[in-house]
Amino acid sequence: MSVEIIENLKKAILEYDSEAAANWARKAVQEKVDPNEALRAMTEAIREIGNGFGTGELFLPDLVGAADAMSAATPIIDEEIARVGAKRESLGSAVIGTVYGDIHTIGKTMVATLLTAEGFTVEDLGINVTAEQFVEGVRKYEPDILAMSALMTMTAPEQRKIIETLKNQGLRDKVKIMVGGGAITQEFADSIGADGYDPTAPGAAKLARKLVAK
Amino acid sequence: MAQNGFTRTFKPLEILTEEQVEAIHRGTLEVLWVTGVRMEHERALQLFEKNGCKVDYDETRVRIPPGLVEESLRHCPSSFHAQARDPRKSLMVGGNTLCLAVAPGQQTVEMDTWEPRAATRKENYDGVAILDALPTVHFFSPYTPYFGFEGVPSCMAMLESLAARIRNSTKFQCVGFSNNSEIFAIRMAQAAGIEILGTCAWAPPLAVYRDAIESAFRFAEAGLPLRIISGQVMGGTAPATIAGGIVTNNAEVLAGLVLAQLIRPGTRVLVKDFNATMNMNTGAPAFGGIESCLHNAASNQIFRRYGVPIDNSTAYPNSKMMDYQSSYEKAFRIFSAALSGASTLLFHGSVHGELTHHPIQAILDDDIAGMVGRFLQGITVNDETLAIDLIEEVGPIPGHFLNKPHTRKWWKLEQFIPKAADRLTYPEWMNTGKKGCLDYARDRMEDILATHKPTPLTPSQEEDIERILEEARSYYKERGLIPDDEMATYRNSMKSPNYPYE
Repeated sequence: MSVEIIENLKKAILEYDSEAAANWARKAVQEKVDPNEALRAMTEAIREIGNGFGTGELFLPDLVGAADAMSAATPIIDEEIARVGAKRESLGSAVIGTVYGDIHTIGKTMVATLLTAEGFTVEDLGINVTAEQFVEGVRKYEPDILAMSALMTMTAPEQRKIIETLKNQGLRDKVKIMVGGGAITQEFADSIGADGYDPTAPGAAKLARKLVAK
Repeated sequence: MAQNGFTRTFKPLEILTEEQVEAIHRGTLEVLWVTGVRMEHERALQLFEKNGCKVDYDETRVRIPPGLVEESLRHCPSSFHAQARDPRKSLMVGGNTLCLAVAPGQQTVEMDTWEPRAATRKENYDGVAILDALPTVHFFSPYTPYFGFEGVPSCMAMLESLAARIRNSTKFQCVGFSNNSEIFAIRMAQAAGIEILGTCAWAPPLAVYRDAIESAFRFAEAGLPLRIISGQVMGGTAPATIAGGIVTNNAEVLAGLVLAQLIRPGTRVLVKDFNATMNMNTGAPAFGGIESCLHNAASNQIFRRYGVPIDNSTAYPNSKMMDYQSSYEKAFRIFSAALSGASTLLFHGSVHGELTHHPIQAILDDDIAGMVGRFLQGITVNDETLAIDLIEEVGPIPGHFLNKPHTRKWWKLEQFIPKAADRLTYPEWMNTGKKGCLDYARDRMEDILATHKPTPLTPSQEEDIERILEEARSYYKERGLIPDDEMATYRNSMKSPNYPYE
């Protein structure tokens, strides 16, 4: 029974079916399937999609569709992990968002999805996120990685402001900071004291893995 | 070639049937009334509510009834005059005229490596002067040629760009908005005695944020014309289908048009059809796609029915180099826009998307634009051009036309001669150093820089522009948008004896 549930949960994600993913997650909880095992199957599915995307066999709508299906199931499994008092298996955790004044969502969502595929637990703060909200996110979730996106030249300086605010509040050294987005360059990332930058979403996910391994 | 745009002398291309136009129009009205749009601006929401719209203040959502949309379209001028510094370069936007503008780039490119880098102040000012000299550049779009240049903090990029364009060109100017920059932009325009086209940019799908609405209020209340832009990526911020994309873009720009007419009836509006498909491998906009041409052509047909001038946005190539791909991407876009009746198009100078611009590209584009302008001029058919009597006079071989007064008069009127194209024979080409269009364009650039002197502002206008810039610098400094180190770099960059030109 448990094998069948796990297989179906994985299949739901591979078929971009949010409703089925949530249903099979609930079923897994009912049937007392090991929640970490369910989570592993889901991560495996999303990694499979991520790999297909990396090799050019799958496309962005597939990646985002699978991520949505995973997001539909994750809270149900997470709740069960908390209930049974288990420890959530994860490569690390990340808080991600697009900076204040900037409402571009797609690049940020791609990175969030690929971070999940790499095995991270991701808190997506959304778009138009203020420095205060980023700092609050770091305080609340205590992530290994803080990832910030800015597409526009006009909004890139927000990233500097966020790093400065983290410094002032004594939180800078508690988190690795990654920056990205159309307006960002390695030079800019260095100048504001970020820990890493990559121009592509798959590159950013690999970078996060490297940063937590340090 | 005309300074004030190209006039089409034949029927525009119509790619939709009457029924299809109607279906898109009805779909748009349904979206505006049933789904509505998000507007994060209290005063705008109140204005819509007062005029019969359903407003949900918690969701900042406005639902606009079809009657108000159609009434607003009637208030909107079908063509409008736009005042340039040189009155001879003022525009009449709309009707069967196509006006071309400069396309922006965040940075310039190195032509030996094609890698991007920040432009210098001198490159920016020289770039404006070159564009001022090109006859097919009819006006300038915001932050052209570059989004900013070395030494300039990003919050000052918009205003430094406008100042450079007002100083080094007498053509019509357009501005964007960022951190209230439009307050200073409007003052600069007043100081120079010109009009500027403002911008209200939507955030697809179906949303517009506070800064954009503020900009709409400021321009409409100042009696200035307004560009209403969205900027969809089909499959991401709009449906993946072209028809669905047209519906959401229509809903966004029409909601903006209604707002402009509610703020001030009769406000001059230029709507913009800025669209791209998404590159599904990377998520980036796939600039240069032929689907954008279809989107433009259909939108042009719809806005011709509405009687509102329409911009076809930007002929951005996806290539990184001035090469074969870049040429066809640009040529398809401008040609389909011209044939289907666009009022304006951002064209000159963009090398890759809106990330890079180069004056040599603008010079190459001047040739493409000239060819398109020639096409729009069409064919003159009358007794003299039919030349029946002349054909009778010359007769069969050994007769020829080269020695005829008719040829001397007409060939120059009929032929457009590109200035940077290689039109030599093989022997001529081999004997003159095998030059290609990039070499000719570089020669032309150097010639323009040596000979074209833009008409300067009067001393008092110049003083006003610099004073307004200085006020903006203090304004942003006080608001913490220019940190001390950036301010020091900025001040340092202004120390040249040839400031502001280098």
